[in-house]
Amino acid sequence: MIEEVLERYEPVIGLEVHTHLATESKLFSPAPVAYGNAPNHDVHVIDLGLPGVLPVLNERVVELAIRLGLAIHATVNLRSVFARKNYFYPDLPKGYQISQFEDPVVSDGWIDIAVDEGKGAGDPSEGVRRIGITRAHLEEDAGKSIHDDAVTRGKGTHVDLNRSGVPLLEIVSEPDLRSAAEAGAYLRALRSLLRHIGVSEADMEKGQFRCDANVSLRPVGTDPFGTRTELKNLNSFRFVESAIEAEIVRQAELLDEGEAIVQATMAFDPETHRTRVLRVKENSDDYRYFPDPDLIPIEIAAEEVDRVRSNMPELPDVKRHRFIESYGLGEYDARLLTESRSVADFFERVVELRGTSHGKEIANWILRDLLQALKERELEIEESAMTPENLSALLGLVAEGRLTAKSARELFAVLVEDGGEPETLMSERGLEAVSDPGAIEGAVQEAIDGNPKAVESYRDGDAKSLNFLMGQVMKKTQGKANPATVRQLLAQKLDA
Amino acid sequence: MSASYRTLVEQRDALAAGEVSSRELVDLSLAAVEAGSRYNALVSTRTEEVLESAAAADQRRASGESLSALDGIPIVIKDNMVEAGQGTTCASRILEGFVSPYDSTVVERLRESGAVVLGCSNMDEFAMGSSTENSIYGPTRNPWDEERSAGGSSGGSAASVALGLATTSLGSDTGGSIRQPASFCGVAGLKPTYGRVSRWGLVAFASSLDQIGPLAHTAADCATVLGVIAGHDRRDSTSLPEAVPDFSAALDGDVSGLRIGIPDEYFEAEGVDPDVLSAVHGGISELEKAGATVRRVSLPHTSYAIASYYLIATAEASSNLARYDGARYGRRSPNAKSLSEMYTLSRSEGFGSEVKRRILLGTFVLSAGYYDAYYRKAQQVRTLLRRDFDRAFEECDLIATPTSPEVAFRLGEKSDDPLKMYLSDIYTVSANLAGIPGISVPCGFVRGLPVGLQLLGRALDESTLLRAADAFQGRTDHHQQDPPGWVG
Amino acid sequence: MSDLTRDQVAHIAALARLKLSEGEQDAMASDLGQILEYVEKLRELDTSDIEPMAHAIPLATPLRPDRASETLDSELAVSNAPLREGTAFVVPKVIGEEEEG
Repeated sequence: MIEEVLERYEPVIGLEVHTHLATESKLFSPAPVAYGNAPNHDVHVIDLGLPGVLPVLNERVVELAIRLGLAIHATVNLRSVFARKNYFYPDLPKGYQISQFEDPVVSDGWIDIAVDEGKGAGDPSEGVRRIGITRAHLEEDAGKSIHDDAVTRGKGTHVDLNRSGVPLLEIVSEPDLRSAAEAGAYLRALRSLLRHIGVSEADMEKGQFRCDANVSLRPVGTDPFGTRTELKNLNSFRFVESAIEAEIVRQAELLDEGEAIVQATMAFDPETHRTRVLRVKENSDDYRYFPDPDLIPIEIAAEEVDRVRSNMPELPDVKRHRFIESYGLGEYDARLLTESRSVADFFERVVELRGTSHGKEIANWILRDLLQALKERELEIEESAMTPENLSALLGLVAEGRLTAKSARELFAVLVEDGGEPETLMSERGLEAVSDPGAIEGAVQEAIDGNPKAVESYRDGDAKSLNFLMGQVMKKTQGKANPATVRQLLAQKLDA
Repeated sequence: MSASYRTLVEQRDALAAGEVSSRELVDLSLAAVEAGSRYNALVSTRTEEVLESAAAADQRRASGESLSALDGIPIVIKDNMVEAGQGTTCASRILEGFVSPYDSTVVERLRESGAVVLGCSNMDEFAMGSSTENSIYGPTRNPWDEERSAGGSSGGSAASVALGLATTSLGSDTGGSIRQPASFCGVAGLKPTYGRVSRWGLVAFASSLDQIGPLAHTAADCATVLGVIAGHDRRDSTSLPEAVPDFSAALDGDVSGLRIGIPDEYFEAEGVDPDVLSAVHGGISELEKAGATVRRVSLPHTSYAIASYYLIATAEASSNLARYDGARYGRRSPNAKSLSEMYTLSRSEGFGSEVKRRILLGTFVLSAGYYDAYYRKAQQVRTLLRRDFDRAFEECDLIATPTSPEVAFRLGEKSDDPLKMYLSDIYTVSANLAGIPGISVPCGFVRGLPVGLQLLGRALDESTLLRAADAFQGRTDHHQQDPPGWVG
Repeated sequence: MSDLTRDQVAHIAALARLKLSEGEQDAMASDLGQILEYVEKLRELDTSDIEPMAHAIPLATPLRPDRASETLDSELAVSNAPLREGTAFVVPKVIGEEEEG
């Protein structure tokens, strides 16, 4: 369905991401930022919007906004202004949200995203798209309205203001994305960046990373944008991509029938896999933004930007290039390794232990084996029992020929699951490769005796038959024979 | 308990001399509240709390541990300043039953000084008005003529002092709401520099204009109270960090060499009572006799001030008052059957018509398509007004004007004509727009009603204002006249 | 543009969540019209190069250290609530998807 649609229409997608900032206290009040407590447990009179309360800005959020600005190659505006966005909703206690409108703290940035998975080394720009970021501005989160009848027993809507006043950065992309997959890649790259630079934990489950998508279609090969709709509250990566695809299909159906797209706010139903109109946008949407008279403009000294810059962790882009240069990694592997700071740190620690020349091999183990194993167990790399020291030791044993590839994988699984000292575990489990020719000779002889056909073809010059015979020996030794020793013995006997 | 006191200084001296106790001062005040009740100056009286506070103050005094010159002296606050555990209504139905869980900074500072909060004064609803008629409690009557308005919006605070319920009170001034009622009631009222007194716990009307200040019979008492409530507060982002000078120490009675500017535009304005003007001229001559020099200055954008003010003030108010929705506190309409009705009915039943008018005007001027023409334009004119003052203060140290173009008007006289009511703020709104301090002191009487002389000063220079006002009062006795309603 | 139509008054009343009777609507249209006519005088001034003034003080906004130092007891937080359930505020049920920011 979608493939067919994409032959005729090009989607134009822009994303608005709301991300909670990693602070101890709220944007304008000294109440804690906390999750999961009883209603109205983490509130200050400021968060309740009581008569007479006033906001005072948390200094940490300014630093985090600067960090984000630097990380996305944007302009950090040395003067920015808080404005009031006026609307009524039960979980918006003041009847307005303090946000930024005309003068945001960050503007005109970009990030690169990987758009073509599976690409190896080569032209570093291959498989990469640069996505513009229009702006990032500070604002306060609203509280929560609880409509669930199980909680309210059908009696009205409950309002909990624990989240009221939690600091947010709203990060608005340019309409540069052209597919649901690109939108997903952008979100993953942005989330990874936010975590990397310590700006946000960006945990979607906790509502710390929320996304709205603006979607429109235009006939392939044309320039003007179509009418867009806004998909609200796409709160998991899976939803984002399926919701955008569903909306693309819905719009295409309308356009095919010659109907106009109506500007509207849409919701995605994961059950039916369809989007539906939540609310038609009218010209009456009028937020009456104006500069908040309770807050004077934020002024950031140029020296402050320098100070934040000098304390910035290495950015994923820079790290990626360094990995390519220093360790001979391909673009794609380097990108995967640098998507998460903890994965990159893990990799570098192993490289440090094993030596730079082993970079590629280490990258393979981490990307193909470790991350896969973690994914199956739904663990983050920090939570894994596998340490860089253990992985390094394991690879050392393989290099020394004391572990065969098969045994290495078996030991690897144990290390991921339970941890432990690789050499000890190897001995305990009898996994050490057998290198003593005397111990292997019997198996070698059996392989030769039992496979006369292979022996014959080897002698006829088919080198591949040697591999077959080696496989037979490994089978007989439960994979524990040192392959080099086996190869040597086989050759000796066959060539004799 | 035969003694009655007109000033805080007299009370302080009598307490120090042991001639009176705090308990007796509080009893005097409570008796006066009772005697003056028909003027409707107070909306609530803290009958029990004041007795406890007075007893504690007397105990401190007995053990030589008095907190300050105000320790044990009753003071009135306006009903838009919150105190933990007490009700605050802003004279509005929508805040019916609201009890604050926290203290405003001014109440906190009064408490630290030992001052006893006697009660809350009547006001125009949410401080929107110039007559204290827009109140759910009914209008405050003028102590000089009960058929007339006490001015507004701090009419209750001005009348409290004029009646003798307390020697001092606090008011708030967004466009003249301290100075105009002070003028109408024949007392002194000071609007400090914007940012001098914390707004934390002051229920907002227009945040960029609101400022709390003292009312009293004398400038000297205003200086004492300002010294207590002024100063930087980390809870208010618009609070000025500058150190607070000793305002009382500045009152040396010397105004020689002080340059007083007379803005032509203020004296040539339309609709000014000529008798008011001559009383004000008389006041200025007094200062001249005391050694001040007088010169003409120009504030060329004065005639645009009212328009700029009402656009900015209502825009801010429309947003500040959005929080009164019946959801978390205050009055929810019992007729509300849906969420949408909770909003519209609670707000429509809870706000009076002047508040609704201003919310609508403010909503309109911020709305799409009108913002630039109205709100932004008003802010640009605000810049011009500010520049007028900057220029004028290069040539003078103070500016002298009438506080109001008229003496107290009759109750009901203007309530049907909002624009006419707005225009009576012509002399006071500019100081709020520019953020500069202003004081009104009684300078004479017209047909038995007091007239106020307004002095405006440079930002942060309340000392010069107070020094001149104090010197003026040292040479005149207008502030010593008792109104017919005096119950002190 | 100084005169407000009844529709305009109805529109801004809806934005401000105020319900006006027909009589009130007419009165407001006339009052606001008068006030807007008065403020038209601002147009006499050329302000094209003039910075708008949003604040009366020439400062940058002060900053507060990021410390979670104070909360309100949750009982006290809902003590003024017209309707509550436990420590949650209760409002009439939000029907469908009403306005959200």
